Amino acid sequence: MPTDLVRLRNFCIIAHIDHGKSTLADRLLDLTHAVSERHMRAQYLDKMDLERERGITIKAQAVRLAYTAADGLGYVLNLIDTPGHVDFTYEVSRALAACEGAVLLVDAAQGIEAQTLANLYLALEAGLTLIPVINKIDLPAAQPERVAREIEQVVGTPAEETLRVSAKTGEGVPALLEAVVRRVPPPSGDPDAPTRALIFDSLYDPYRGVITYVRMVDGRVRKGDRIRMMVAAGVSEAEEVGVFAPEAVATQELTSGEVGYLIPGLKDVAQAKVGDTVTTAGRQAAEPLPGYREPRPMVYAGLYPIEGDDFPDLRDALDRLRLNDAALVFEPESSAALGFGFRCGFLGLLHMEIVRERLEREFGLELITTAPNVAYRVTVSGGGTVTVSNPSDLPEAGSTERIEEPFVNAMVLCPSEYIGAVMELCQSRRGTLQTMEYLSEERVELRYQLPLAEIIFDFFDQLKSRTRGYASLDYEPSGYRAADLVKVDVLLQGEPIDAFSAIVHKDKAYAYGRATAAKLKKLIPRQLFEVPIQATIGSRVIARETVTARRKDVLAKCYGGDVTRKRKLLERQKEGKKRMKQIGRVEVPQEAFVATLRTDEGDAGR
Amino acid sequence: MSPVSSPLAAPATGDGPLVDRSLFGVYVHVPFCLTRCNYCDFVTYTGMQALRRPYAAALLAEAELAAAGLGVGAPERPTVTSVFVGGGTPTLLPPADLGAVLLRLRELLGFAPDVEVTVEANPETVDRALADGLVAAGATRVSLGAQSFDDRVLAALGRPHDAGRVGLAVAALRAAGQSAPRGLDLNLDLIFGCPEEDGDSWARSLEEAVALGPEHVSAYALTIEPATKFGRLVAAGRMAEPDEDLLADRYEQACAALAAAGYCHYEVSNWARGPCGPDRFPARASRHNRTYWRRGAYLGLGAGAHEFAPGRAGSGLRRWNLRGVPDYLAAVQEGRRPTEGHEALDRRQARFEALALRLRTVDGLDDDEARALGVDPAGAAAAELRDAGVLFPGPGVRLTERGMFVHGEATSRLAA
Repeated sequence: MPTDLVRLRNFCIIAHIDHGKSTLADRLLDLTHAVSERHMRAQYLDKMDLERERGITIKAQAVRLAYTAADGLGYVLNLIDTPGHVDFTYEVSRALAACEGAVLLVDAAQGIEAQTLANLYLALEAGLTLIPVINKIDLPAAQPERVAREIEQVVGTPAEETLRVSAKTGEGVPALLEAVVRRVPPPSGDPDAPTRALIFDSLYDPYRGVITYVRMVDGRVRKGDRIRMMVAAGVSEAEEVGVFAPEAVATQELTSGEVGYLIPGLKDVAQAKVGDTVTTAGRQAAEPLPGYREPRPMVYAGLYPIEGDDFPDLRDALDRLRLNDAALVFEPESSAALGFGFRCGFLGLLHMEIVRERLEREFGLELITTAPNVAYRVTVSGGGTVTVSNPSDLPEAGSTERIEEPFVNAMVLCPSEYIGAVMELCQSRRGTLQTMEYLSEERVELRYQLPLAEIIFDFFDQLKSRTRGYASLDYEPSGYRAADLVKVDVLLQGEPIDAFSAIVHKDKAYAYGRATAAKLKKLIPRQLFEVPIQATIGSRVIARETVTARRKDVLAKCYGGDVTRKRKLLERQKEGKKRMKQIGRVEVPQEAFVATLRTDEGDAGR
Repeated sequence: MSPVSSPLAAPATGDGPLVDRSLFGVYVHVPFCLTRCNYCDFVTYTGMQALRRPYAAALLAEAELAAAGLGVGAPERPTVTSVFVGGGTPTLLPPADLGAVLLRLRELLGFAPDVEVTVEANPETVDRALADGLVAAGATRVSLGAQSFDDRVLAALGRPHDAGRVGLAVAALRAAGQSAPRGLDLNLDLIFGCPEEDGDSWARSLEEAVALGPEHVSAYALTIEPATKFGRLVAAGRMAEPDEDLLADRYEQACAALAAAGYCHYEVSNWARGPCGPDRFPARASRHNRTYWRRGAYLGLGAGAHEFAPGRAGSGLRRWNLRGVPDYLAAVQEGRRPTEGHEALDRRQARFEALALRLRTVDGLDDDEARALGVDPAGAAAAELRDAGVLFPGPGVRLTERGMFVHGEATSRLAA
């Protein structure tokens, strides 16, 4: 059933984690009676996983609310969810593009955080109408006046126009619903133009294949229409269209301005990526919607099965994961130390953690992850550029003309008393200060140019520990720049271990080599022979440590003939070896492969 | 189903290195002590004097139950090759009561002519009368818990005796042994890596132990068990766990001193006087210990005692008794074996266990035995261990003296 465009509002909530987005969403559902039964509501709150008839598991990325406003008219409000992590900035931008308005939700005690600010800028870029809201006004520590002034400074909304609510008690929420109706413009779009629908999320369901979440911009899509993904160029049939109210309800069609789901009869999310435009095959749109971007991996790591025999299983598991994750890229590689595995590209560290955890949990694989690294652009002597996503592939020092590394434009928000600590950290990570701006007397926004390699690992932890948790961080890629980089290798018993190689700035290479050798000495258990550890640049040894041979490892006498206990202890010891990777003669625990990048300050800070 | 129905049945063919059916031991546990030592997590009770006589009676009754379970008179059942009365402090039971238990076992199960009968004793309990009592009871061997000859170390361990007392006990036992029909062998137990101990005091303990001329010496590295006073001190950060390298130093000290005094190192923690047989075991090695290492059958009588029966296939059944004395007594009074738990090993477990146990002793495994337990004697793991000086060069898979002290790691590597 087509909705009258004039009574339609599409909006999202921009908030920092813990600022109360889920609770507010919950209140909005309450007030609009979207969820009638208590158990449904609990389910909704439970990370928005809705299990529906027909065996479809649907993540409610968008929910449709029916609201009767003060003017006595009925409105349809589509609340669109946005991911909340810097790894997924692009996905956020697409979700924002599906809206006309955004609720900017700020904690009355915490104020604006970097992530919120970053998403806020995205929303402004997308031309969204902002409704600033201060949440948690019921808290004793609430300082709504201060936060309202901060918002005024950043967004320009006069402090008195900022709404104040308590999502917990419901205070002020009805006024917010009214504001959504009054301030957010209805969608524009031409219902009679050739169809264009923006995919702002897509996922894979084992029963129905790909399910896309779409914002109709122009035209309409009916069940059974032949449709075409304009970027992926695949043609298929719209098996089902519908809306979330909040459960999935199939409808006859979706028309311009509406938000809903579309099941395109595809088997792989790569055929219906976030940002792609759906059009009808019969009457195609001339141009796709703007803003599509191929998912771009930011960090790379090697994934290797501990047991070499598991390689085919790992390949199958990655293939299966890719059905649901268009941002995951991987290609086979081999390592002298680790055997056959894959070099995988991820949006960021969180994305990497998610993938790794799913591989271990859902597919029962035991994996070694190498330290994550960025992709370098290397100009080799005599011209030609290669991209190096595995440090051990870096060409010999003599044959490279220039090495470039990716930089990011990072934004840090922190209370002014921590400016020194933040600057110190950024400088130690080769950062260049771009701007420093006071959002209010107490809060400062610092912008730095930083090498991505310097922040992917423990930068955020460091930032948090140096500012007692008060600083927040966001960043976006800002291109490649040349830097004085060298490859540091690590040798065990004189043998170079490719999986330990890292590309490091020249000024930091010695410290890195020393720290890595020391770290490995701590992590590699004593073996039955001595294990010399060396860090080298080219043929030059820059650090040396030794794991001395193990001399005592025997169980005491078996009291009263109790052999059972002894056997069980030994069995456990034997099992423990399965978590180790044998490299040459040396048994190396999994965590050693990631630990090399952790710096001393990481330890010192804890 | 009783886990020990017919435990000694079927002299199977092709046991290989899994079991040794020529051995049949009996372990008798006596869970009483005067005081609890700081390192000990064995089943033992201080006090409970009133339970000692009923306990001795229960041992007799349990022996009957065990013998009935074996099918007395079954033709294939071997006679008993060793008895070990351990504790606790077995010498807190009147020797006559011990004698009665041993006599009953002899009647029920039959003893081999050269049966080894060991009784553990703590030095403070041993005088001439007790020593005579042990001989009269049928002991052929006494294992004395000397632990150290440094009084400060003994005090730190919470032992109730001093170093001088060990000499007196040895003298009493030697005198009593004169009238023992088959003599009386002595073992001294020692512990190294103790609080208050240093390299010199350990050297003196070794010297003094050797000077007393025991036929057998056991030297154990101090192990911190959680449920002990030491365990609690370590957990609270008030005591350091013994350093592995320090323990290795002390171990090497023991190896050198005992070798110099003519003792043969035949198991990780055990040394005995020779001569050595073709199986590399010295003449005075403990046969009862050997029963454990070779997976021979043994009965376990008394609270917390463990029992092993190879079973027809040789994989084996293990069962163990209730640990609490009151529970133990109640079960026996009801006429049943006081079983707390049991496990039937599968083939894989049995092979791993046999590998681990056989590697502890000086004979190790010959190439065929190694292969039968899943170890390639010419494989990469064995070669690496030989390079590292943990195994002797082939043939066979045998731990060196240094290798014995890294037995756990060596076993894990070979079995992996």
